[in-house]
Amino acid sequence: MKTVINEQNRRNFAAQVESMLHDKLAKCYQCGKCSAGCPVNFEMDYTPNQIIKMTELGMEDKVLNSKTIWLCVSCNTCSTRCPKGFEVTGIMDVLREIAEKKGVTSKVEKEVQMFHEVFLDNVKSNGRIFELELVGKYKLKTRHLFRDMFLAPKMLEKGKLKMHGEKIADLNQIAKIFKDFE
Amino acid sequence: MSRIGVFVCWCGSNIAGTVDVEKVREEAAKIPGVVSALDYKYMCSDPGQNSLRNIIKEKNLTGIVLAACSPHMHENTFRKAAAKEGLNPYFVEIANIREQVSWVHEDKERATAKAVDLMKMMVEKVKRDRPIEDVRVPLNKKALVIGGGIAGIQAALDIANGGVEVILVEKEPSIGGRMIQLDETFPTLDCSSCIMTPKMVEANQHPNIKLYTYSEVEDISGYIGNFKVKIKKKARSVVEKDCTGCGECWNACPMHKNVKSEFNVNLSERTAIYVPFPQAVPLVPVLDRSVCLHFKKGGKCQKCYDACGPKCINFDLQDEIIEETVGAIVASTGYDLMDTSMYGEYGYGKYKDVISGLQFERLLSASGPTEGVIKRPSDGKTPQTIVFVQCVGSRDPEKGVPYCSKVCCMYTAKHAKLFAHKVHGSQSYVFYIDIRSTSKGYEEFVRGTMEQDGAIYLRGRVSKIYEDEGKLIVKGADTLSGNQVEIAADMVVLATGVIPKKGSDKLAQMLGISYDKYGFFTESHPKLRPAESSTAGIFLAGMAQGPRDIPESVVSGSAAASKILGLFSKNEYEVEGTIANVNEATCVACFYCQRVCAYNAISKKEIKDRSGKLIKVVANVNPGLCTGCGACVNACFSKSIDVKGFMDDQIYAEIKALAV
Repeated sequence: MKTVINEQNRRNFAAQVESMLHDKLAKCYQCGKCSAGCPVNFEMDYTPNQIIKMTELGMEDKVLNSKTIWLCVSCNTCSTRCPKGFEVTGIMDVLREIAEKKGVTSKVEKEVQMFHEVFLDNVKSNGRIFELELVGKYKLKTRHLFRDMFLAPKMLEKGKLKMHGEKIADLNQIAKIFKDFE
Repeated sequence: MSRIGVFVCWCGSNIAGTVDVEKVREEAAKIPGVVSALDYKYMCSDPGQNSLRNIIKEKNLTGIVLAACSPHMHENTFRKAAAKEGLNPYFVEIANIREQVSWVHEDKERATAKAVDLMKMMVEKVKRDRPIEDVRVPLNKKALVIGGGIAGIQAALDIANGGVEVILVEKEPSIGGRMIQLDETFPTLDCSSCIMTPKMVEANQHPNIKLYTYSEVEDISGYIGNFKVKIKKKARSVVEKDCTGCGECWNACPMHKNVKSEFNVNLSERTAIYVPFPQAVPLVPVLDRSVCLHFKKGGKCQKCYDACGPKCINFDLQDEIIEETVGAIVASTGYDLMDTSMYGEYGYGKYKDVISGLQFERLLSASGPTEGVIKRPSDGKTPQTIVFVQCVGSRDPEKGVPYCSKVCCMYTAKHAKLFAHKVHGSQSYVFYIDIRSTSKGYEEFVRGTMEQDGAIYLRGRVSKIYEDEGKLIVKGADTLSGNQVEIAADMVVLATGVIPKKGSDKLAQMLGISYDKYGFFTESHPKLRPAESSTAGIFLAGMAQGPRDIPESVVSGSAAASKILGLFSKNEYEVEGTIANVNEATCVACFYCQRVCAYNAISKKEIKDRSGKLIKVVANVNPGLCTGCGACVNACFSKSIDVKGFMDDQIYAEIKALAV
């Protein structure tokens, strides 16, 4: 697993992440508290602290192709516990976004990435989630049309699937958030 | 007739838990000559000592046995208590029934039997004790400091300010040691020479300090209060009192390209007649005869002499031996850097741009070969990327030394920081195993190097460094991300491990102080007597004791000084009276004792009659040096030496007490 560090590329990548993250990569101690508490780390190929270090070292390919950034469930356990107050959850978001922008498709976590895209689209257009639309688009995208179909009646019964979507009052605010992140 | 008191201590449950203390007391009372036997929970407590003193008075005791802890703990306490009642303190004996009985045995019955035996032995011994007087040694109130680095200078200044004369001996042409070679100091980034030169000047001008630079200690004999020191003042070829330090001589010297500057760690050249650096103290040049053309070519060249205004250059000056008598000594000989050329993978010595931390320090320094501009030794270009490698030689029991050199983590962080400050847009990488930054402000300093100055720290070792198209390719590991990395660097700085100064082991042998297997001087006690050596009157300071930074060196210099001022606050030094004693009537002058004595305490003494005719030669014990170890007693063929307090009849009585 040899990596040749190209100083210019390293700087560009680290700078891009840092500017989107509004935080410094060097802040990380590499103490591993984030990785220790992560509820999904058993499925990850790199632990969260490794992702931070590799980002600092400019290992763009490895980071953007990792399973880790797509497996992160943004539960924020890591960020809450980080002794340096580093945005660990945030860096996962940033890296996902960079992967999306650069058109890097995850080879292993394809469906998670698709869900991520559909989910964000949904939020962008409604300001909140419209479940029926989300499910529909996701199924079309993954072509698993009938998977989990039997969950639908139960969800309907409990009022979890509404037939009509609602938009929030001020969609401009949502647009602003999305714009800021770009 | 002896009147002995036996006191059995419980030491809470420490002794009483395993030894039947009452039984020991009962057995003691049965021994003839024992007039009082007592057991008490804590004999060392005030009430314990008071009861001891009361019984001495009431029963008019002639000797005391304490069945208690090791004499290392409380022998002194009880001796002092006895002395207060007018009893000679050497009539107090300790039967060690804690360390040697209760703490090492489990069976109460057998432990008690052993405790009784030990107590009986001591009762028999104390019956045969004789009064011993402590020896008083007069003190010559003058101190010698060996090594003029920061620790030595600090010690010398503190002693001198206490009103005591000091002789400061430095091997190099100038005082200042390693610290004056450094650029800025962590964690405050004080300029090293700015804070060092005032101290050097003060030491030079202090009325109580006599400075011998370019000098070495040749020989030391004697003992605390009375060391005879021979100092070799090497021929400088310059008459110090006439020299003005103008520099005409070294400007005139034709040897200006071939000699590597020791002060700049081989990064520049010096002349044959030179001062190591501009702020040298004293500012008097030294003529290096090993390279001077005058000495190599039979006196033809004398350009320096011709250039010298006051004509203070004298090619005929010889080494001078100066003899001094001092009462105490500080050994602060400092450190060297390890030779790291055995790490072939790092290429030190092979690639010009792989340098040591001390060399980088000179590159940073305004008085250095590049006047503070960071330039590569190979082509003089300013490097943009530097890789720092920590633990080169340190923490490597296989090829280097197992210990941590302590200063490298901090100076590497400082180097990376100063590099970022001096070369904008540059990048440094630091390979480390662990980062040790434990003193005040140190951790914050290292974090600042990472977070503000952008140094990238990689936890792992470097496997190989090689040159490729003008770059040094550094291959290493980053164990935190689990990657092998390769960095193209312009320069590599190795944080080389520290070792004791070359020749410090020989000095230690001359001084009779102990040193560890690496050559660092060992303290009398690592925690409680850190400034004292194993020999009375000799104190330690600075890196000669082990890796330490500047503040710690200053503290240790001051500690040694305060010990010496404390010692000199009295007119005499008191030595325990339990030392060897020669029976001059039976001594046959074989001097086998002299050969086995580890402390050089035995000398030859001539006995003459009234007319001055020599009658015989006998062994003589120097009370200032003798530690009462007893090696000579075993060696003596004619049974002419005894150690006071451990006489044959006393030892035999102890053994006999066991036999019954």
